[in-house]
Amino acid sequence: MSRPVTVVVILILMAGAAACRKQPSAPQDPLAQAYDVEADWNDPQRVIPLGYREAQGKRVFYTQCVWCHADSTPAGPSNRSNVTPAPPLMNDGATLNQESDATLKNMIALGGSALGKSAMMPPYGRTLSEEEITDLIAYIRAIAQPPYQPVARPQSGSAGK
Amino acid sequence: MPADEMGRIPPRLRYAFAISSVVFVAVLAISPVKDLQREWKQSKRGYVRFAETRPDTKRLLADMHPGIDQIWIPDLNVVDRCTTCHQGMTQPSLAGVSVPQPYRAHPFVPHSVTDWGCVVCHRGQGPSTEVAEAHETTLAWEQPILQGRFIQGSCGACHLGRLPQTPKLNSGRLLLEKFNCTGCHRLEGIERPVMLGPDLSRIGRKVSREWIYKWLKAPRTVVDANGNTTVDGYLSGEELRMPQFRLNDAGLRDLSAYLSSLQGEPIEPYRFSPAVLAALEKNPETATQGELRFRQMFCSTCHSLAVIRAGETKLIGGDIGPELTKVGSKVNQEWLIAWLRDPQGYLPHSKMPRYEWSESDLYKVTRYITERLTDADLLKDVPNLPQATPEQIRSGQRLFLENGCASCHAVEGIPSQKDYGPDLSALGAKNVSQLEFSQSKIPRTLVAYIQAKVTDPLSVNPAARMPQYRFTPEDLDAVTTALLAMDGPPATAGLRRLTVPREQPAFRPAGPFGKVYERYKCYVCHKFNGYGGDLAPDLSFEGSRARRAWIVEFLKNPQTLRPTLVFRMPQFNITNQEADVLADYIGLVLQSPAVEGDEGDSKAYTTQMATLGKELYEVKYQCQSCHTIGSSGGYVGPNLSNAGNWLYPSWIEAWLKNPQELVPGTIEPRRAFTKDEIRALTAYLLTLRQGAKPPAGATSHGGGQ
Repeated sequence: MSRPVTVVVILILMAGAAACRKQPSAPQDPLAQAYDVEADWNDPQRVIPLGYREAQGKRVFYTQCVWCHADSTPAGPSNRSNVTPAPPLMNDGATLNQESDATLKNMIALGGSALGKSAMMPPYGRTLSEEEITDLIAYIRAIAQPPYQPVARPQSGSAGK
Repeated sequence: MPADEMGRIPPRLRYAFAISSVVFVAVLAISPVKDLQREWKQSKRGYVRFAETRPDTKRLLADMHPGIDQIWIPDLNVVDRCTTCHQGMTQPSLAGVSVPQPYRAHPFVPHSVTDWGCVVCHRGQGPSTEVAEAHETTLAWEQPILQGRFIQGSCGACHLGRLPQTPKLNSGRLLLEKFNCTGCHRLEGIERPVMLGPDLSRIGRKVSREWIYKWLKAPRTVVDANGNTTVDGYLSGEELRMPQFRLNDAGLRDLSAYLSSLQGEPIEPYRFSPAVLAALEKNPETATQGELRFRQMFCSTCHSLAVIRAGETKLIGGDIGPELTKVGSKVNQEWLIAWLRDPQGYLPHSKMPRYEWSESDLYKVTRYITERLTDADLLKDVPNLPQATPEQIRSGQRLFLENGCASCHAVEGIPSQKDYGPDLSALGAKNVSQLEFSQSKIPRTLVAYIQAKVTDPLSVNPAARMPQYRFTPEDLDAVTTALLAMDGPPATAGLRRLTVPREQPAFRPAGPFGKVYERYKCYVCHKFNGYGGDLAPDLSFEGSRARRAWIVEFLKNPQTLRPTLVFRMPQFNITNQEADVLADYIGLVLQSPAVEGDEGDSKAYTTQMATLGKELYEVKYQCQSCHTIGSSGGYVGPNLSNAGNWLYPSWIEAWLKNPQELVPGTIEPRRAFTKDEIRALTAYLLTLRQGAKPPAGATSHGGGQ
């Protein structure tokens, strides 16, 4: 009489075990999953993972912007010292985190003079595509130091639409 | 059946019957319970719970389908059920790392999930509905999910050409080319150049046996006065091409004996004229003057030298040619002079241009190289090498072939060992069971295999013939990415149709221009119709841009237009006749269809226009942020101080209208100038001239038209 009960118990235990099988935990190292990376400008040991968008922005930055918005360039010296007022460094979070995506976009597309700022910043709206400008802003946000925190959290998701 | 018969069933049996019924029901119930607990169903339920916490719950749930989702693209052999769990894949509101996996939206990429499926790029097992089976290597399925950092390898499977969006893949492909991997391996899409390593048929006339010994042991190593290694060709990546072979002392002895026995024709000593020798031989300043010429001629554009800066030894200079810090202790003087005079005479495929030397410059530079670029201790640690026996030479030749040296180096009489290593064109698609791991403890995956094989060939195969390379971690990832892209011929008709081939432009003009073009190797630095190097400006439309007189003057005395450039055009001492040949051809052939063929100043640009143009330049558009005129301005764009002598008005106008149409990818932004503004700016730029008239000497040889 005790045998059938044992069988029942064992079967129930087996069913339970099958149901509760542990899901394998996938390694979630952000650097291992990053499309591209960029070393933090202030701390080269810290590596910032970049997604596809930010990686494309990085390419635009190193082609078009690096000459005036960084203190060293792929060619060596920077043009930043020749431009007055000095343009912000592209990772200058203290300055750039204040600006909304829309302001940055206008700044890049229409140039400084259209926004009442320095005419030394030329407009890139006819040189870069809208997508490239979006990518560039994503890159600026990614490398910002102090890090960029979107102002209104719920909207941040739909901003990338 | 009568009722009283029922009563005859013994209670014990009834009890057993009841128990067995319960057991039966329990057993039957396991299956539906198990089904309810299936991973993908749990995941779906989890998604519903997750969606309820989002502001757009309604839409998220409306887009959800309760069963298994599947993307089926027969053309690409795609049957992907990944979106069953990865529910939010196409929901823009679920973008960003704050959304937990597996519900996060796919980050933006140019290919949509619904059109391409998932495994085409990510690998893994599409039809599986279990997490482990879909993602990891199993006995039945050997292609695990590709980590994000190698994902560009998948781009390269179809995009065989250079794609600006895939920096890691591009750098990996470039490294495969630079490391001369094509010497031994067939690699789809990586070009095998005519010359990989130098031809060694006459190496015995160029360097000593002791130097060969040292080079084979530790190539490109710079040691400071205290005996510390300051530049290690391997570790610093300065010596990409020549790997380290695993040779013991006897091997080094025999191989150096064999190589130094390769003599070929003797090198005829060059006799300097007595006048040059009389003036320079005893002059203590000769080597110093040679150094000055070495710098003025911009040898550093292609060659680097180890320089101590702030207590640290650094290599300064380009990497088109070899580093030269100790070349004076390497090559013998007769060879050096013969080489400087005519590099192609010794190595027909060398990238080094044939300079037009003045005798005194040749003498000075030779003295500089043989006296200053030396290291008395370079060969100190080489053991005494007695006269080589024929037996050693034969053994050396055997080693030469066993190590596959002839795959990169040509030696007269020895057939090329091209394809000495395995064909790697389909490496990226190899299954784990096809790979040899030997005793190594690395994970059994293709990526781990490639990385181990490339960094330490012996770890996966103790009998490996592959020499030792050194990679930085970034380079290793890039090379791995490029190798993963080589996944053989397309597996499906759809993929074959989608393959984007590699463009293989070539610009090899013949005739007098072709001769000068080859002599000075213009294409090593400049691009012509898509063919050539990236170091210097694209010259495809130079004839529409620059005035003939300016071109001639520039060729004879290259002045840099971009003051920040470290690498500048070398001074070739080009002859008048050659300058004319180049200028005529450039003017006639290298023309842009976007520029009106108006070469003269026929259009009237008035002084008023120029005044307006100056104001536009300085105030409204502030071009000085990037361009220099005179001594002030930025140095992103070229110096415009001599624009009036340099540029054609038609070019300036077309350029101001749309720079990218003339030079695709140029960084000058395209602006919305009005027609009048363009005319005014052009008028102003044409007034900018250095010297009163077009440079003298330029027109006097003009025989073009």
